[in-house]
Amino acid sequence: MTTLIKLEDVHKIYKLDSTEVPALNGISLSINKGDFVALIGPSGSGKSTAMNLVGCLDLASKGEIYLKEHNIKHLSESDLAQIRGKQIGFIFQVFNLVPSLTALENVALPMAFQNVPRGIRLKRARELLEQVGLSDRMKHLPSQLSGGQIQRVAIARALINDPEIILADEPTGNLDTKTGDEIMKLLYDLNRKGKTIILVTHNPDLTKLANKIIRLKDGKLVGS
Amino acid sequence: MLIDYFLMAVNSIRHRKLRSWLTLIGIVIGVAAIISLITVSRSLESTIESQFEQFGANRIIVSPRGFQGPGTSSEGLTVKDVETIEKIPGFEYVVPGIFLSTEVSYRKEAGFTLVSGIPAENFEEFFVDSGVKLQQGRFIKEGDKFGAVVGSRVVEDMFRDKLRLGSKIEIKGQEFKIVGVLKEIGNSQDDNQINILLDTAREIFSKPDDVDAIIAQVKYAGDIPLLQEKIEKDLERKRDDTNFQVVTATQILEQINQVLGIMQFVLVGIAAISLVVGAIGIMNSMYTSVLERTRDIGIMKAIGARNSDILKIFLVESGLIGLVGGIFGVLFGSAMALIIGQFSKSAGFTLIVKIEPLILIFGLLFAFAVGIISGILPAYQASKLKPVDALRYE
Ligand SMILES: Nc1ncnc2c1ncn2[C@@H]1O[C@H](COP(=O)(O)OP(=O)(O)OP(=O)(O)O)[C@@H](O)[C@H]1O
Ligand SMILES: [Mg+2]
Repeated sequence: MTTLIKLEDVHKIYKLDSTEVPALNGISLSINKGDFVALIGPSGSGKSTAMNLVGCLDLASKGEIYLKEHNIKHLSESDLAQIRGKQIGFIFQVFNLVPSLTALENVALPMAFQNVPRGIRLKRARELLEQVGLSDRMKHLPSQLSGGQIQRVAIARALINDPEIILADEPTGNLDTKTGDEIMKLLYDLNRKGKTIILVTHNPDLTKLANKIIRLKDGKLVGS
Repeated sequence: MLIDYFLMAVNSIRHRKLRSWLTLIGIVIGVAAIISLITVSRSLESTIESQFEQFGANRIIVSPRGFQGPGTSSEGLTVKDVETIEKIPGFEYVVPGIFLSTEVSYRKEAGFTLVSGIPAENFEEFFVDSGVKLQQGRFIKEGDKFGAVVGSRVVEDMFRDKLRLGSKIEIKGQEFKIVGVLKEIGNSQDDNQINILLDTAREIFSKPDDVDAIIAQVKYAGDIPLLQEKIEKDLERKRDDTNFQVVTATQILEQINQVLGIMQFVLVGIAAISLVVGAIGIMNSMYTSVLERTRDIGIMKAIGARNSDILKIFLVESGLIGLVGGIFGVLFGSAMALIIGQFSKSAGFTLIVKIEPLILIFGLLFAFAVGIISGILPAYQASKLKPVDALRYE
């Protein structure tokens, strides 16, 4: 088993005016390639914060985060952008897509930042949209799609650069159970195909899919 | 890739609200002003220059300095002065002329215009060297005591009825026959002028000695400065005063060009101010755009956009906005220049407005550059947003 992600005593403190809000208080954990990790905990426990740090969207206040062999705090802004673009696929709870672009263009967008020619990009985006069952919605704008369809577009987009890691922050939080289950099935299939998945959720039912459960409370790990 | 940023910018601009289009007005006005001003003043310059070319650079013009104030005996030019100049060698001919604004009538209908008297011996030469050609008829000859050669507008629209060769007009109670009509010269004063023989003019206006202007045609252009100086000296000595001025065509041209230059400078200054206003408009519009799309910036960063990508996206967008403003500005500016040309024509001054592609291209590039420069600060701000903050932005 190769370790893909490793956190060592990670702290995150948000500074609000003069007060300091500690969101993570010394987290250490490691995630292996091919894991399906469920990250659970009450609201405000620091799940999204942890996810953003792993996804290189933010930097830790203290502690080390390793992606493969890289300590991300030693990487430049453009290296981090490269990691976000190529190694990681994000799926958020809301506001996933660029509203002025069609589903197809949204899916193709991550490849634009990797300088992939437009023709290749759109071809790959079409294939992925077909895989998530949206071949008839390619030209639609996000405002013309349902919540479940938007999440499927986001999954297709997360896959386009073939990343190793998928980070999903409550991807089904806004969906009804049936639609949520469909999205979960897509994630489960991806994990079966070898993607490492970290899923943030409130729903204990969804943790059944995971082979590893991380519980957070007040910015600390609980049990394990 | 730039083409993608371009497409994104087109997309974003298409989705813009009216409010952000209004911010374009500044740059449109600025570019329109620059284009029309430069076009008109360059046309003016070349029109004047070509008129002077016709006029002949080989001329020295002597005229009275004008009214010197009450009580002073303001002695104008007289035939004596003509003789003084004629004594100086180096001229092809020296033409004394008199000019008078007076009433002219045709079939009992009165008009008012400038009548000039030019000596018979040099009558034809004078017009030919001025570059003025006949449209119909002929020039006045020695025997045509009461013949007149008239400007194109005299026959066209001075009177209700159009005049023809052979038409009889009356000046100071004396009947004149039109023997020649000049081609259009391009300014209303010349085109409305009636030219008769000097001796006749002296008679009917009872001005036996006065001269309003002396035109000396030099043989060699290179002699002009020397001859000009000599005229000044000799006249001053003979007359014992300095109530006259001696100018050359090139001098007048230089003066006009100087005035034009100052005009251009001032007008371009005004245009520059409106461009600054336009630039601020674009900057404001871009700041709004950055704010409105903060979350998009977050998403793009989350899926791999570097700071430099975001910077380019917004710079391309602001450059494109500048260019769009430039296109409208160039169109309006050219239209304005053409309208000014038409207007001047109906005001009696033929201004040939030429739209120069190079100036239009310059206008477009300039607007594009203004757009990009105005976009630098907003784009930089956008590029520096932290991904998490941008994603959380409400
Ligand atoms: N940008 C921020 N500035 C200040 N405080 C923040 C910021 N982001 C998060 N916090 C605080 O950090 C703590 C952890 O927030 P986080 O969003 O990680 O919780 P979460 O576990 O994802 O909660 P939820 O389940 O509601 O999404 C909270 O107390 C929150 O108020
Ligand atoms: Mg959260």
